[in-house]
Amino acid sequence: MSEFELLRNITIGQYLPTGSYLHRMDPRAKIVATLLLVGAVSFTPTLGGNAVLLAACLLIVALGRIPLGYALRGILPAIPVLVLLAVMQLLFFGRAYDPSSPVVFHWGWIVVTAAVVRLVLVSAARFVELLMVTSVFTLSTRTTELTHGIENLLRPFRRFRVPGHELALIVTIAIRFVPTLALEAERLMKAQASRGGRIGGGRWQFVERTRQLLPILVPLFTFALRRGEELIVAMEARAYTGGAGRTAYTVLEGGPADWLVPAAALAFLVAMLRLPFPG
Amino acid sequence: MQSQGGLSTRGIVISAVLAAIAIFLGATRLGFIPTPTGINATIMHVPAIIGGILEGSVVGAIIGTIFGLYSFFYATTPMFKDPIIAIVPRIFIGIFAAWTYAGLRRSGEVTAITAAAIVGTATNTVLVLGFGVMRHYLPAKVALTVGVTHGIPEIVVAVIISLAVLLGWKRVQRPEARARV
Repeated sequence: MSEFELLRNITIGQYLPTGSYLHRMDPRAKIVATLLLVGAVSFTPTLGGNAVLLAACLLIVALGRIPLGYALRGILPAIPVLVLLAVMQLLFFGRAYDPSSPVVFHWGWIVVTAAVVRLVLVSAARFVELLMVTSVFTLSTRTTELTHGIENLLRPFRRFRVPGHELALIVTIAIRFVPTLALEAERLMKAQASRGGRIGGGRWQFVERTRQLLPILVPLFTFALRRGEELIVAMEARAYTGGAGRTAYTVLEGGPADWLVPAAALAFLVAMLRLPFPG
Repeated sequence: MQSQGGLSTRGIVISAVLAAIAIFLGATRLGFIPTPTGINATIMHVPAIIGGILEGSVVGAIIGTIFGLYSFFYATTPMFKDPIIAIVPRIFIGIFAAWTYAGLRRSGEVTAITAAAIVGTATNTVLVLGFGVMRHYLPAKVALTVGVTHGIPEIVVAVIISLAVLLGWKRVQRPEARARV
């Protein structure tokens, strides 16, 4: 019956309370610092730079007191894809990617240049680094902190018609709806199964698989839209008028000290982009 | 009721429930259809298309952005751990689908929904693979092959789901039956 237990696999909103400094940080500062760090990882093209980044990410995992195995649990299922990607990059890029780079391997039509080897290593390192950054962020931030943070950070942009409050509310409702949808989908799958329907099947029967999904997906969409209509009535009946003039139960109070971490992240980003790393 | 930010209560709620479907499809892996090539076809972008058709380009863009953020934070494949590939292309799925639907609406509901689903899915496939090539994850030849072998089945599935959901929904949900204060 385990194939009907959809809720078990949903890890969104999972929080690992270790009480570390990162857990206690102001969510606004944490969001900004994470964005800067993701920028640093995404735009560092050198091997030396990525070695520094790997070390920095390990430090962040340690700072969050999150077990390394837990932060990196996404690596194991990704290994086949990582290998496939590396093979494709090694086989097919050839001289097309940076023709001036020296050839390190040549056999028949397969040409591997030093630049392509570096590319393979950098893509793999970047994946591991981003996995650590995003794991630490999601495991150390409660969803309520996240939505408060988004709303607060977007408040100054309200004059440019960026609906910060509304976006935060959308994220809240969306996260709240996921378990409701999972329960409904379980019901639909059981209803199908009790009438002889089957879910699943191998890689080669993908047409069949898709056809089996339809009797679940179509009612699921209708269910979600219908629940949405009910929620709209409920909100408007209670005179919901959006974010203007609204006060909050939780008020984020941050001092200048909270912004030291994003400042450090900004300095780090600039250093990563400016410093001449080898490789 | 229109709030100051330009998003109505309806816009907020419909964005949220459809984004929840995208997250749900990703979290339970129901949204990935394994294909013989080893790369999964996806239907996770369908909520963005449906949102764009039902409530316009802003709602479509929000659903796409949440779908992109989710796939970035919870990705287990290297290409989608890159924010430029995971988030940016997804913003445009709902926008292009909404524009296509609005442009073709006069030629009939079925035509407009079909065209919007095709455009929305193609936006996802072309932009994701295009950014993948630009960021040197994929050689152009491989991207082109993947685009043809996965893009076309994805389009077919997206059209079927969009038509089934929207034609059914629009039949019950006449404008005068909608919740409105």
